[in-house]
Amino acid sequence: MGRLLKFFIMAVLAAAALSGCVEKNILDDISLVNGIGFDYYDETKIRGTVIYPYYLPEKDPEDKTFTAVSEIKKTILDDIGRQTADPVVTGSLNIILFGEELAERKGILELVDAFQRDPGVGSTLYLAVVEGTAREFLEENYRYRSTVELVSRIIQHNIDRGDLPKTNLQRFLFDYYQRGKTPFMPRLKRKPGKIVDLDGINLFCKGKIVDYLPPDKMFFFKLLVDEYSEGLYLVEIDEGKASVHSIRSKRKFRLMEKDPYKIRVEIDVNGVIDEFTGNELKPATMKKLEHEFENMIKEECTKLIRRFKEKEVDPAGFGHFVKTKIRNFDIEKWRNTDYKDLTVEIKPTVKITQSGVIE
Amino acid sequence: MNMQIPENRKISPFFAFILIYANQIGIGILTFQRLISKEAGYDAWISVLMTGVCAHFIVWMIVKMLGTVEGDILSVHEFVFGKWAAKIAGIVFIIYLGLGMITVLRSYIEIVQVWMFPRLQTFWFALVFLFLVLYVVTGGFRVLTGMAFISSVLSVYVFFIFLFALPYANFANLLPILDHSFTDLLKGSRTMAFSFTGFELILFYYPFLKKPEKVQKWAQLAIAVCTVLYLYLTVITFAYFPEAQIQKNIWPSLTIWKIIEMPFLERFEYIGVATWCLVILPNVCIPLWAASRLAKHVFSIRQRTAVPVFALLCLIAVSMISTRKQINFLASITGTMGFYIDFVYLPLIFLATLLAKKVKKSGPSS
Repeated sequence: MGRLLKFFIMAVLAAAALSGCVEKNILDDISLVNGIGFDYYDETKIRGTVIYPYYLPEKDPEDKTFTAVSEIKKTILDDIGRQTADPVVTGSLNIILFGEELAERKGILELVDAFQRDPGVGSTLYLAVVEGTAREFLEENYRYRSTVELVSRIIQHNIDRGDLPKTNLQRFLFDYYQRGKTPFMPRLKRKPGKIVDLDGINLFCKGKIVDYLPPDKMFFFKLLVDEYSEGLYLVEIDEGKASVHSIRSKRKFRLMEKDPYKIRVEIDVNGVIDEFTGNELKPATMKKLEHEFENMIKEECTKLIRRFKEKEVDPAGFGHFVKTKIRNFDIEKWRNTDYKDLTVEIKPTVKITQSGVIE
Repeated sequence: MNMQIPENRKISPFFAFILIYANQIGIGILTFQRLISKEAGYDAWISVLMTGVCAHFIVWMIVKMLGTVEGDILSVHEFVFGKWAAKIAGIVFIIYLGLGMITVLRSYIEIVQVWMFPRLQTFWFALVFLFLVLYVVTGGFRVLTGMAFISSVLSVYVFFIFLFALPYANFANLLPILDHSFTDLLKGSRTMAFSFTGFELILFYYPFLKKPEKVQKWAQLAIAVCTVLYLYLTVITFAYFPEAQIQKNIWPSLTIWKIIEMPFLERFEYIGVATWCLVILPNVCIPLWAASRLAKHVFSIRQRTAVPVFALLCLIAVSMISTRKQINFLASITGTMGFYIDFVYLPLIFLATLLAKKVKKSGPSS
């Protein structure tokens, strides 16, 4: 076995010899960009803004931003590289932001494609649309140590506990490439007082924004889009208002009829009551709350689906669902006629299991 | 020809499992998902199964055939064709093995260049890597086996890493089952066969295995494990990517690794690609060893002379290939050649051996 030991020594030596053959990236000598934003500039050009933490001795890192205008992402980074003290590296990119105008007028496909092509960029980064321009958004000094960290944490915890459906680069690409499904992105807003606000969802079709859902629709959007989800919603009945926290909900599609298609969406919500403004939560009141919540889900989700159809988007993936159920699925026919004729029946079941520690 | 290998240079039949496994798992596992889905869409997992079943039969034939002649492929050829034809067939096999080595090494260097270090020069990496290969191969067959064992064991963790893709997996992607015609499935399994080649190297090291009667069991087990592994990766990959997206990814397995985030590790690809260096090591070493052994008998030179010569030729060839188009071309030649050797030629020669045996048996009595 002495020979095997020698084999290891040889392998280590080989690695050492080769490490001289490639370029080095020492962490102190590069600008490790963690966020990037794109804006509409003119017909052919886009404006890119990068943000990266600049480390100072014995102080918190400071955000620095640089901007350049060009036709494609790579040349933007090159142009920015001419302004920064150290070379720009995208290896730890966390968020990519798109200015509203860019996403509406030019579309974002080429840019997203550039990032999926780049082997140095991970698939878990967040994409988001910002109101106004991405440049102004990134240049603002928010009341938090790092803009990028703030944004990615807002998105993260809203996915985990709030009303934002699961999203990141891979999920966006998944929805985009999946036949019979369209992608979406969270939308961010700068608020006076240096605050970032998660301001609803933008729906995309072929890389362009086609619709906007305000925050109060997000709960129902998440119910439709995510297989398992969690969220919070305010339910009103005569006895008072209750905030229902959906601990775990499950969504299931069922194909009821073909030609024309009919899909039943079964939504099971398991919730607890966080807050109730009325006097007393009697079992009868609970029943009433459950019933009212069911009605709301049914109504709101039906409205959402009608809206999807009008805008010709399908973020819930009804098209893909039908494709998995029938052979020789014709996507063109689906887009042109079948989706318009589709009836979707929402069948919610709400179960409130807890009402807090107070009886 | 005398195929007697001294007992102290032989290895236990269990290592047939390791050697086959180590040779099957290679560069193909990083790319095959896209290629098979091009042919058979998301029904291609059925193609994987079909190829696996075929491989079981062929391995059974190979082992049976080698048992009949009690030697390696050279003995088979001599048994069936006679001495001169055996030499020509030997040269064909040397070319095939050489092409295989070059394809594996160049494809791996391409991955390193695309995913990690764009400025890495092919020549320098190949030089250092081939030194390591030379060292292993000149150590003899037992060292080679030891290295294959280490490489197989150390890389097993990578297959668990793919479970990180599960939160993103949508297994409904695979539905509806059998949305493609049987012809498509056959095409898919032909493409799959490109990645499945590698088991045929048992043609060369069979005489080095102790207790030939137990080889069949271990060889079959190796094929079964590989089939399951390929199937597992196919299903996970198909669930992770929509069909249109997988067509865009040259290395779907590596793209899946991009999703992995660990608290202590920002990106897994770097570890994965580095691990793969160890995985492809047997894919270069075993063919080099086999080619040099063939050369010994075909050209009557010493094996110790043949090894460095082949390594040098490999180095030159690898350095000369620079674009992806050339790499793809090379890979398709090697794949096609492997397919015809493994899935067409070997069954035929198996039948020929059976026939020759019958003729020779009845010969002296008549």
